[in-house]
Amino acid sequence: MDKTVDSYRFLDGIAKRVMQHWSAMRRGRAIPWTPLAKPLSQCTVSMVSSAALALRTDAPYDVEIERRDPWFADPSYRILPRGLKTSDASAYHLHINTDFAKEDINTVLPLERLYELVELGEIRASAPSHYSYSGYTLRPADLLRDSVPCMVRRLREEGVDAVVLVPV
Amino acid sequence: MQCELEAAGFATLSLSMIPELTASTGAPRITALEHPFGAPMGPSGDAARQRAVLLAALQALERIAQPGTTVHLQFEWNGPPKPLMHPAEAPPIAQYLVRRPWLFPKFLNRTPPVRPD
Repeated sequence: MDKTVDSYRFLDGIAKRVMQHWSAMRRGRAIPWTPLAKPLSQCTVSMVSSAALALRTDAPYDVEIERRDPWFADPSYRILPRGLKTSDASAYHLHINTDFAKEDINTVLPLERLYELVELGEIRASAPSHYSYSGYTLRPADLLRDSVPCMVRRLREEGVDAVVLVPV
Repeated sequence: MQCELEAAGFATLSLSMIPELTASTGAPRITALEHPFGAPMGPSGDAARQRAVLLAALQALERIAQPGTTVHLQFEWNGPPKPLMHPAEAPPIAQYLVRRPWLFPKFLNRTPPVRPD
């Protein structure tokens, strides 16, 4: 029999209660839909991580924003290049253990794995740019207004066909 | 985020450790995965697992034809049995609510106080 994922296998207590409550809150809007226009093997793929990753050479996320107003995280995004290695980036998410990402960036943004799938012919290309932002915020308006349009513009410029979002 | 990108004309898929939560946002395509927070793609250094998860997700993205579909990936977590998921320091919201427990219902209902500008 096929396995059904247990969402709460690694959660208990208050975290479990909160996630269960949030899961019952439906968005109430129509589900958007863009069909995949070509076979996967012909697709250029980009990925988005909510782990608040940034290149070490880039500006860090401003964690003081969240420390001052804990309902709200830094709404900015960062671009991660497709050749990213673990030593190139840092994770700024304040709600998770970032040790996994520090040891191996592919645990949260598998760019090396995506490149291997290109070599295997599973996809056509890994996009030049991939993205990250802080997945925690209870005030998403700034993220949606300021960061998403910039990401969309770059995704279009790079001819991306499909986007995989990786949670943290 | 996923809904915005889908509406902008990209075929998207979210991996999710809490698929019901992701589905509640109206996500068009979801692959559910029983991995701990902090290591969604698999254990550190386990390239085979990470690659298998990513490929399964991409194949689901190609196969899913009905908006709102969740595919449950069959991977069993093969890392430490009790992975440490929480940060060393409690997140700011946790510290805040410990001091102001009367605001916990606002957090639970995702209705933050009006932001002072």
